[in-house]
Amino acid sequence: MDSIDREILNIIQSDFPISPEPYAEVGARVGISGEDTLKKVRVLLADGIIRKVGPFFDAAKMGHKSTLCSVQVPDEKVQLVADIISGYPEITHNYLREGRPNLWFTVIAPTEERIAEILSEISEKGGVAPIYNLPAKRMFKVKVDLKIMGS
Amino acid sequence: MEFDTKNIALIKALQKDVYLEAEPFQKIADSLGLPLSEVIEKVKELKGLGVIRRFGAALTPAKAGFKTNAMIVWDLEGKEEDKIGEIMASHPRVSHCYIRPPFEGFTYSLYTMTHSNSDEELQDIIKELSEKSGLTRYRILRTVKELKKTSPVYFG
Repeated sequence: MDSIDREILNIIQSDFPISPEPYAEVGARVGISGEDTLKKVRVLLADGIIRKVGPFFDAAKMGHKSTLCSVQVPDEKVQLVADIISGYPEITHNYLREGRPNLWFTVIAPTEERIAEILSEISEKGGVAPIYNLPAKRMFKVKVDLKIMGS
Repeated sequence: MEFDTKNIALIKALQKDVYLEAEPFQKIADSLGLPLSEVIEKVKELKGLGVIRRFGAALTPAKAGFKTNAMIVWDLEGKEEDKIGEIMASHPRVSHCYIRPPFEGFTYSLYTMTHSNSDEELQDIIKELSEKSGLTRYRILRTVKELKKTSPVYFG
């Protein structure tokens, strides 16, 4: 990653131009052509530094319910339960973490009933319980852009 | 918020993989049979309403130089959550800050997600957060393995 890559990343994380030629605009800001900007972004995506470019919707404003869940899963069952969980498009994040409970995942679905249904299916198919459903009571920050430092 | 069929069609189209091209919004306009100007105006409107909370690139923290990513859970110790939440959220390396219900044997209810370049830096961040908030009971839930990370699909 060079200094222009870093500049591009800092711009397009939160200020992707909603305009006919977004990359031409970003390029003009960092002093290269739109074509070269797009090429650089494609490389950053191919390298996995960028995960996705596009819109991030507010689940609540989209009329959806979201929650974080946790469950203790014995080591020998982690892969089995992870595979069950990954099968649900409503489950977007799933992490194995230190401590107890060790499995933490997020669910986004149109209704709380659907979330409850998914949790009881996981519990049944994976043979794990209890699954703690921990919807946010308060949200103080949801920020996904990370300021990239460096020369 | 209720969405009419036109908005639903637009939201579906916006979730397509078109943003690594020179004229992404033109592609969306073409797929919907709408003029480019209307698509741009609508996207700006959805952003203004907060339905789109952010438009742009999401990074993979570990590959963008943030090697130590940890969820830290804090016991509020009976302190006022509003003030503590604001303090935690104002730290630049805290990306997410939520209050969630405590549960069986788990008294921690303030959740912060932090991104740092090293374990040493993570310890510095925790020290700072602890000093500023006055909270001393916490647990670091380091990521052992990322098993799934995707974006939700709406009206899929």
